[in-house]
Amino acid sequence: MAEKPRILIVDDELIVIRSAERVLKAEGYDVEGALGGREAITKIEQNSYDLVFTDLKMPEVDGITLIRWIKKTKPSIGIVIITGYPSQDTIKEALELGIIDYVPKPFTPSVLLDVTERAAEWIKGRKPEEKKVKEEFPPAMEAELERVISDLRRKQGALIPVLQRAQEIVGYLPPVVQKKISKGLNIPVAEVHSVVSFYSFFTMKPRGDHNIRVCLGTACYVKGIERVLSKITDALKINIGDTTENRKFSLEGVRCLGACGLAPVMVIDQETHGAMTPKKALEIIGQYEPAVLEAVSASGMEEMAEKEG
Amino acid sequence: MPRLKIEDLQKIKEKHKADFALREGGYRAKVTVHMGTCGIAAGARNVMTALMDEIAKANRSDVIVTTSGCAGLCAREPLATVEIMNQSPVKYCDLSDEKIREIFKEHILGGNPVEKYALVMGSETTY
Amino acid sequence: MEKFRANLMLCAGTGCVASGTTKVRDALRDEIQKRGLDEEIKIVLTGCNGYCAEGPVLSVYPDEIFYQKLTVEEIPKLVEEHFLKGRPYEKLMFKEPEKKTAIPMMKDIPFFKHQVLRVLRNKGLIDPEKIEEYIARDGYQAAAKALTQMTQEDIIKVIKDSGLRGRGGAGFPTGLKWDFASKVKSDIKYMLCNGDEGDPGAFMDRSVMEADPHSVIEGMIIGARAIGAHHGYIYVRAEYPLAVKRLQLAIDQATEAGLLGNNILDTGFDFKLEIYLGAGAFVCGEETALMRSLEGKRGMPRPRPPFPAHKGLWDKPSVLNNVETLAQIAPIILNGSDWYRSLGTEKSTGTKVFALTGAINNVGLVEVPMGIPLRTIIYDIGGGPKKGRKFKAVQLGGPSGGCIPESLLDIPVTYEDIVATGAIVGSGGMVVMDDNTCMVGTAKFFLEFTADESCGKCTPCRVGTKILLDMLTDITEGRGKEGDMETLEDLGRDIIATSLCGLGQTAPNPVLTTIKYFRDEYESHIKHKWCKAGVCRSLTTFWIDEKMCKGCGACLRGCPSKAIMGEKKKPHKIIQELCVRCRSCYEACKFKSIKILPANFEGDPSELVGVTTETETKKGES
Repeated sequence: MAEKPRILIVDDELIVIRSAERVLKAEGYDVEGALGGREAITKIEQNSYDLVFTDLKMPEVDGITLIRWIKKTKPSIGIVIITGYPSQDTIKEALELGIIDYVPKPFTPSVLLDVTERAAEWIKGRKPEEKKVKEEFPPAMEAELERVISDLRRKQGALIPVLQRAQEIVGYLPPVVQKKISKGLNIPVAEVHSVVSFYSFFTMKPRGDHNIRVCLGTACYVKGIERVLSKITDALKINIGDTTENRKFSLEGVRCLGACGLAPVMVIDQETHGAMTPKKALEIIGQYEPAVLEAVSASGMEEMAEKEG
Repeated sequence: MPRLKIEDLQKIKEKHKADFALREGGYRAKVTVHMGTCGIAAGARNVMTALMDEIAKANRSDVIVTTSGCAGLCAREPLATVEIMNQSPVKYCDLSDEKIREIFKEHILGGNPVEKYALVMGSETTY
Repeated sequence: MEKFRANLMLCAGTGCVASGTTKVRDALRDEIQKRGLDEEIKIVLTGCNGYCAEGPVLSVYPDEIFYQKLTVEEIPKLVEEHFLKGRPYEKLMFKEPEKKTAIPMMKDIPFFKHQVLRVLRNKGLIDPEKIEEYIARDGYQAAAKALTQMTQEDIIKVIKDSGLRGRGGAGFPTGLKWDFASKVKSDIKYMLCNGDEGDPGAFMDRSVMEADPHSVIEGMIIGARAIGAHHGYIYVRAEYPLAVKRLQLAIDQATEAGLLGNNILDTGFDFKLEIYLGAGAFVCGEETALMRSLEGKRGMPRPRPPFPAHKGLWDKPSVLNNVETLAQIAPIILNGSDWYRSLGTEKSTGTKVFALTGAINNVGLVEVPMGIPLRTIIYDIGGGPKKGRKFKAVQLGGPSGGCIPESLLDIPVTYEDIVATGAIVGSGGMVVMDDNTCMVGTAKFFLEFTADESCGKCTPCRVGTKILLDMLTDITEGRGKEGDMETLEDLGRDIIATSLCGLGQTAPNPVLTTIKYFRDEYESHIKHKWCKAGVCRSLTTFWIDEKMCKGCGACLRGCPSKAIMGEKKKPHKIIQELCVRCRSCYEACKFKSIKILPANFEGDPSELVGVTTETETKKGES
């Protein structure tokens, strides 16, 4: 990456793009603009950007759709939202999609520069060593986490609900998050850690873009999930509990998803897939990462027996 | 929904009676409109619409309407069979919008079969 | 008033949604609109119908026609045929396995025919997201009765007399539990619901929470009134997002309608209800562990006494009931204890929902009167094992249960009779296993589960389950030795006797029952290094009987390691050095020419194969 990141500003109002360009170019950033989500997609496909600043409310292709698309096709691009409606809900939705920060609209040059600088730092810190467990997280996440803690602080037994929300926001529970929760709820950090390590729902490792959960319940066992699982671990070259090197997939084994009628069952993100065979499972994973399928057909696996017991 | 009182529970139940009569059974009268290709061509859809309209206007939840295929008597379409619980079924033929409305009032609500439109009474039961 | 001539009840449970309900719903809605039928025909999304394997499923009322395996492509034809022309569409109807005739009506389909619906009384009949529909089926009438016409003692007496026992596992009488808690004096008490359905293979609680969430809430209101609680929690697994969503919606609607919160139905009774999301720990199905988890701590059990009825959640008197138990409460209050006892046996009254899954033709939820023979459930309702396969065992009660062999299938399903076999009724998971399943492998599967889920508080469970697992792993990998079975049995009994909670006290059951009923399989693994089901890779050799092989090439095409050689129409051969023992050839062969031999078998297989066939026949007959 060059010294300063390359930035794309997406908004349906030219004036916003112009003023952001003016502010950022003066500081030496490489900035371009796109009028609306559709133009942004075309530009992102053709050029490589490090950061995308996008409005949420736009006609045709709106900001959330754009963010979803970027996360799916170019997950390495950092995203900052520019919004005139910083309602809790839209920000929450954007956060769940993994944005770095947001700029309220209208903005002053200093606010914009501030956010851009932080986002640039964030991108720089993450990019070279993706495998390293990160010790800090984006400022927008931090604010959201603080809000959750203060909302639930007075509730009896708040620790587990706070951890669940924190994991939704950050994606996993690194020590820095646990420390923050410990402080916020006034619970010893050792106790927070003991709870995190006890429940299988919580993870201290970052997950991939897509989480594959394979059901290890009895019905799935009887119907042959083990063979499905071994094909997945072969194809992705990871074991249960791991994340692929490119951070695309994580693999988890779960204790019965209660969909025994469809056994064997695999869930990717929120989609449940039933009556899995090794071949079908790989085909589905292949929809997210064609390379998996290619690797498999190369080794002659396409002729794998379809018949299941 | 506003806060409920105990007597409201019964009222809500009454309000949804029509849907649940369909799902649970327990209706008093059943009208089968024969909707084969011939029936539809002869105007069975209008008959059906008129009938549904009458039922809704009369606010009846004990009458259900079903459809079936061609009754085999294409020349006399549209046809409909009216079955009142514990009475023999009556088949009506050459129906029209007006005729079915009359049948609804006289036979289904009043209990008196409309002989002038009837094809057969107490015919073979197909179910 | 709006009036429809037909209601289409489309299943939107987890299973059917995974099979494509949403797309089918859209296609159905569009097609009905296109045909101008939208004012005559209503589409209702229901909760889980229980017949998940054939989803998405649809019931059409008033005709009571049942359709399965719907696809978007078939929708236009279905709408045209059935809803326009009135000819039920045979292609999508249920057909009995191996037979061609379609069975149009749900009540005639064997799977549904033998069932008696009490817990699942509203399944497929109401839209779970509309409180009005629940009320239209007599919903909240029982709560109204309990709050206005009955004293606490009256309620407890009816429940006690009904003989209702906890459906979560142990089968403790529900009325007695309520009685204990009601007699303890305390300013704060808690009414809790256990929706942490942890047993793999059981999904009735998920189904009830998705299909009829208000029935659980109503049961909790009545229970709260009986014990004098004004605050409650429903503890639900995080793995059930749809159940959580529906329950939350139901709680919100009930609160708005004044059926929860302060002054319920103007009777002066207060009850607040919240959902608490579990975080994935099997041990939290145990009541004291669940309460610890609700407090935001590690979900570890603690010794009893004190019982939760005295010191439960935050040390206050608490009652914890399972989802299925609570769904039974309202009908008992409305119809009385005699009505409830009219089904079932003296000690196991009423009905129980079972989740029938595994190697069987009809998979799904079945609600039957207690006391009917296991055989009826497996053969009449479940349709028996798939064609060409032999029934081997049915696993009851999940990791705490055991495997019941063919010879015991005529026992009635009651708490006592099932315990006598070494299994437990548990939450009602019934996983059928056929001759493709290795019983030693099955025992190992469950021990992997319990060893992993053991909370680690008491030594017998933490260390004991690990040792059991290690020994079973040795046996399945060819390191078994004489005396292993006796050690497993001794150790298993010790763990049962000395563990702190239900998890450890039942964890050895899968090992003990498989040794008891399938001793020959253990012996064959240990002595002959031979897994006759061909599951344990280190104990298997696949071999093609040249006399039976037709040279069709099915095995050759399916072999992932290209270990099979042979010309078309001539007997094939397996190159043992290349074989990874994945079984795919065995399953691909239509002529039963592939035999399973002991590990590294050398010599004359034809002799041995003869022996196998003979013993297998004997086992089938016994």
